[in-house]
Amino acid sequence: MEEDLKTERKGQLLAIKDLPTLPTVLDEVSKLVARPESTTEQVARLISMDQVLSAKVLKMVNSPIYGFPGRISSISHALMLLGFNVIRGIIVSTSVFEVMTKNMVGLWEHSIATALASSTIARACGLRDPDEYSVAGLLHDLGKVVATVQLPELKIAIESLVKEKDLTYLAAEKELLGFGHDRINAWLATHWKLPPNIKEGMDHHHSPQTAQLYPEMAAVVHLADFLARLYEFGSGGDDNVPFVQPDAFKILKIKPKDLEAICDTLGERFVEVSDLKFT
Amino acid sequence: MQKIPLNLAKPGMVLSKPVPRQDGIVVVAAGTEITEGLLAKLESMDVETIVVEGNPVNMDGVMAGSSYTTRLGRLDHLFRKFPDDAWMGRVKEMFRGYFTIKAASGQAAAQGETQPKSGE
Repeated sequence: MEEDLKTERKGQLLAIKDLPTLPTVLDEVSKLVARPESTTEQVARLISMDQVLSAKVLKMVNSPIYGFPGRISSISHALMLLGFNVIRGIIVSTSVFEVMTKNMVGLWEHSIATALASSTIARACGLRDPDEYSVAGLLHDLGKVVATVQLPELKIAIESLVKEKDLTYLAAEKELLGFGHDRINAWLATHWKLPPNIKEGMDHHHSPQTAQLYPEMAAVVHLADFLARLYEFGSGGDDNVPFVQPDAFKILKIKPKDLEAICDTLGERFVEVSDLKFT
Repeated sequence: MQKIPLNLAKPGMVLSKPVPRQDGIVVVAAGTEITEGLLAKLESMDVETIVVEGNPVNMDGVMAGSSYTTRLGRLDHLFRKFPDDAWMGRVKEMFRGYFTIKAASGQAAAQGETQPKSGE
């Protein structure tokens, strides 16, 4: 019985007709990227055909979240510097957050903060491609946005449960749905064919200790989410820090004390993005 | 008392600390009320910050999440789900120490720039 209910909820959440639509150009781009003989130039030209989308992508890649603020002038330049995975993640996030209502601005800001913290931690740990970590951070609460869009009455129920019982947003989701946004993230990532490392950052950001393929990705986003909530930059839906998994430090080969140097950098970077509005 | 950037100063605010020139010599005394003329003068002297009475400017938006005194005040609330967890208790105390140092060094910088130590 309970399983039936879960399946039904999953069906409602993933009802394709209502899912935020990804730009059709993304489909064509994915096909093009899959062909070994395609060039970056061809991919860039295809994305550039959608001018509104290109403008949004350029605005994001030039923000202080990524490593080249204010220095990327074209889509092909962005592709060369950041890679297709990062650009694809940015396209997905802008498309999904586009449907966001006014009362989700807090979640957008929380996502920006988590993206920023993710790349800061990844750099401090000497991990390769830190910008891929920031995209996973940007997308880590996508399940919350989609759940809200698909089941608007659910969001109201979750929010009142958070208030009444002082639950975390995740605990309230589990009580009402039987699963949390981390599970929704996994379905979405599969549905939208996101790269496996970004998928694992999204669906294991509450449980890095059970991440199988890319534990570093899950551990980075896990700690980044903690820091974003510790600084209360934006809002993840409740005012709690999550339990910090001790394994996250083991996976990244750092000590809790190392977070202090990371926070020194992050404190300044938070101020830089404080006016990065979603438009 | 609040340290504010000069561009947020408005006529009517009152200086709670004297304003020194670049070479350290005081040019405007504490207790002086700010006027348009004084603002222009301070600007021409390249004064960047002043300390005024009360708390006239809301710096929350400017400082985003980096107001360390606010962080300290929020710490127990944010960690309230883990009252008996030794590990989370240690994490919390580590950040209490970190934010305390940050808040203190921010205040020291604010006082040190405007006036030599005054026993405050």
